[in-house]
Amino acid sequence: MASVTLENVSRMYGAVTAVDNVNLKIKSGEFVTLLGPSGCGKTTTLRMVAGLEKNTGGRISIGDNVVSDADKGYFVPSERRRLGMVFQSYAIWPHMTVFDNVAYPLRIRRRPDTEIRDRVMNALRLVEMDQYAERPSPALSGGQQQRVAIARALVFEPEVLLLDEPLSNLDARLRTQMGDDFRALQQRLKITALYVTHDQAEAMALSDRVVVMHGGRILQVGAPEEIYRRPENRQVAAFFGTPNLLNATVKDCRPNGGQYYKLSVEGQGWAGDCHAATEMPKGADVTVMVRPENLHVRNAGEVNGDLSWSGEVSQAIFRGSHRSIMVKTPAQTLHVEASSLSHVDIGRPVTVAAPVEAAWAVRN
Amino acid sequence: MTIIHNRPLDDIAETAPTLGGNAFTRAFSGGSLWRLIGMLVLILLLGFLTIYPLAMLLYGSLHSTPPGMAGEFNLNGYRSIMTTQNLIVLANTVGISLAKTIPSLTIAVFLAWIVARTDTPFRGALEVLITLPFFIPPILTAMAWGMLANPQVGVINMVWRWATGATDPLVNIYSYGGVIWHMCQYSIPFLFLFMVDAFRAMDPSLEESSRMCGASRWTTFRKITLLLMLPVLTSSFMLSFIKGIETFESALFFGLPAGIKVITTDIYESINHRATPDYQYATSLSFAIMGLMFLLVIWQWWMLRGKSFQTVTGKGFRPSVMELGPWRWVTFAICLMFFFITVVLPIGQLMLGSFFRFFGFYTYDMLTLEHYRAVFANSEFWRAVRNTMMLGLLGATATMALGAIVAYISVRTRWRGRSLIDGMAWLPWMMPGMVLGVGFLWAFAMLPGPIPIYGTVWALLLAYIALGTPVSVRVMTGAYHQLSYDLEECSRVHGASWFQTMWRIMVALAWPAFAVGWVLTFFGIMRELSASILLYSVGSETLAVVLMKLWANGNAEQVSVIGLMMMLLVIVFRWVQLSFIKSRISKL
Repeated sequence: MASVTLENVSRMYGAVTAVDNVNLKIKSGEFVTLLGPSGCGKTTTLRMVAGLEKNTGGRISIGDNVVSDADKGYFVPSERRRLGMVFQSYAIWPHMTVFDNVAYPLRIRRRPDTEIRDRVMNALRLVEMDQYAERPSPALSGGQQQRVAIARALVFEPEVLLLDEPLSNLDARLRTQMGDDFRALQQRLKITALYVTHDQAEAMALSDRVVVMHGGRILQVGAPEEIYRRPENRQVAAFFGTPNLLNATVKDCRPNGGQYYKLSVEGQGWAGDCHAATEMPKGADVTVMVRPENLHVRNAGEVNGDLSWSGEVSQAIFRGSHRSIMVKTPAQTLHVEASSLSHVDIGRPVTVAAPVEAAWAVRN
Repeated sequence: MTIIHNRPLDDIAETAPTLGGNAFTRAFSGGSLWRLIGMLVLILLLGFLTIYPLAMLLYGSLHSTPPGMAGEFNLNGYRSIMTTQNLIVLANTVGISLAKTIPSLTIAVFLAWIVARTDTPFRGALEVLITLPFFIPPILTAMAWGMLANPQVGVINMVWRWATGATDPLVNIYSYGGVIWHMCQYSIPFLFLFMVDAFRAMDPSLEESSRMCGASRWTTFRKITLLLMLPVLTSSFMLSFIKGIETFESALFFGLPAGIKVITTDIYESINHRATPDYQYATSLSFAIMGLMFLLVIWQWWMLRGKSFQTVTGKGFRPSVMELGPWRWVTFAICLMFFFITVVLPIGQLMLGSFFRFFGFYTYDMLTLEHYRAVFANSEFWRAVRNTMMLGLLGATATMALGAIVAYISVRTRWRGRSLIDGMAWLPWMMPGMVLGVGFLWAFAMLPGPIPIYGTVWALLLAYIALGTPVSVRVMTGAYHQLSYDLEECSRVHGASWFQTMWRIMVALAWPAFAVGWVLTFFGIMRELSASILLYSVGSETLAVVLMKLWANGNAEQVSVIGLMMMLLVIVFRWVQLSFIKSRISKL
């Protein structure tokens, strides 16, 4: 398995910049996800690594070999990069059987028949499709096609596995299951994987590191928990779920003993403590992010946390796994995810509280 | 399930005491009586257009005398076509069709690939240019090529002799090669039109995944692209082969003078070029070729059953085009050359021919406008223009209306008999124009006295409608299939009657397909020669027939004038079609 390095990689379509100066190093055996809304340049980045698209700037290396260097006009075509790829549409060839589909990369490499037979059956066993080997591929379901596509991508032991939204064509239940299966497989085989998705839950569940992209640029790179809990800016914060984002001013800033800073902030009608990644001057405008699942509804006046707001319940929606409660406060309406067992009356005055670890401030 | 549930709706309606309105509305809302009458009229009409000439073909092949004369029934017709000479004719027909289909398919695949899958410059314009020859009546290019590649006075051979000093001609159009060459000029754009969307719609990730697996571009093309296209290629091949057997013009112009006979020209000759027309022979031969066509169509079905791959995912993807680098100017030049050979050369020849006093003598003092004056002063020419225009407008409208009704009933209703009318409308698909012409010849002659269709413009009109119906049904079927049932049902639920629904929803949504089909049918009528040449008589000539007559009299100069004007008409029509219709709909 090999690492992948992108240095100042850009891609222009005429005057439009699809990918803008991307720098990324993927370690050997690491699972990295490119995450972002459609049109953010994530698929283009993946296709440039695949060699299906030429980068107009920068350099891409796989392992120790440079595969594309725009300045030197050097470009290794896709078929010589030794990569495996799973496409969004799976791209299972309908005129071949399952076996022939998976055997294709080996036949192209002119391996002996016995070796092809062994390795194809191994690959199919890996994705639990060995009993379907002789099926014509149009007779497969979406999930089965996806497994065949993975087997085909793995069968010749590629340097790196590229996956372009491989789960997006599956239904919700199957998506979770296939995702978990695939993560387990990746861990077992220690494959370097570059994965593209627009689904945040998928990205968090599968990856070692997540790369959040927007408008062709990388906004943040980090472990899923890091990105979810400690985003670097408002855009990344807003990308995951529907957090409460509150405007506030810094009153005080001090190190909290660890790697973060503890801030005292004041907003419209509320004040309290929260954490931040960098030191901020007094009087600076910040955005404080609090996730709905970390907020608690208390009886009015009952202060039991580092941050609190008082207001009244304006809406309560039962969603099965939890209850969405909207609390109208002087600052803004807060979204709280409470236990589905809790019960609140609309119009009741309440206090909403959060622990200091749950509040994260980013500079505006 | 009880008896009550099985009772037809009408029974219940009759016994329902609260039903209002008069008998008329009641019958209509129940739909049974009027629907029955409508279906009967439709079945009779289609029967007259398809079954009747077919039956008359069988009758005529067993009848010893020409249409309308007393005679006896025997098998002499079939006996007379069982000759060694006709085996050669059959071998010629099949051989020529194969010989033109294979190179046409290869070139069409190449052109479709260039236009759909490479970054060749001006692909949109090239597509229009490449498909243009399909819309030009074959008789025009046949005449133009007859002048261009004539072994003695053809421009190509004159230039060749002048350039090399050789005495032998470079090309002779009056040969097997000439027949095939001319047929290819129609097959290639036809096949191109048939295949280009399949190339365009293919999911590019099917090819990209092959490259990711380590296959080179060429291997990918061979092992993935071509094999995925195999079903489309097979059906294109069959269609082109069948069309090749039906072709008349190429063999008539370039085959007959060289003594090369095919089935269609043999039928034509036995009626028009013998001292006494041998109708029984011609009819028997027509019936035999229909049998051959039937076998071919069955074979086509058998070959294609279950062989269609769904290569279009419906997902929005950017069609991946191959970057050719400097080679893209080579592919550009190839496409342009195709257009030059198939359109510019013939038009140039027609222009050249129209301005010089004698065909073949191109010197400055021979320049003249006298042919234009002669054509414009010719009342027969103007009559033919009127006939062609009238037949084109009326024929295309009637054909499309018939096609729209048949397609609607067979696609969107559950009426009894809908598969019968669908089958009847499809029947002419197996009948070459020449065969249908012979069938109608008998059919019109056998009509009782008070219906004098024989020898009038209406004879031609009916033949054109019959010939155009399969295509018009197919176009409209495709259009109705794309319209969701919800649209129709929603309109009914919101209070619109059946007629209002038809008018406001179905017609409003299906009219672009109707327009496309109309133009196709119109072009079809303009270029029709094989049935017209059997069914016309003095006063009902079409432009194609007038051209044929002038050509037979050796009047190549006036042919050039008329041909040039028809070319102009085709180009104007095509331009109107592309700029007005295409701006509203996506297809064609």
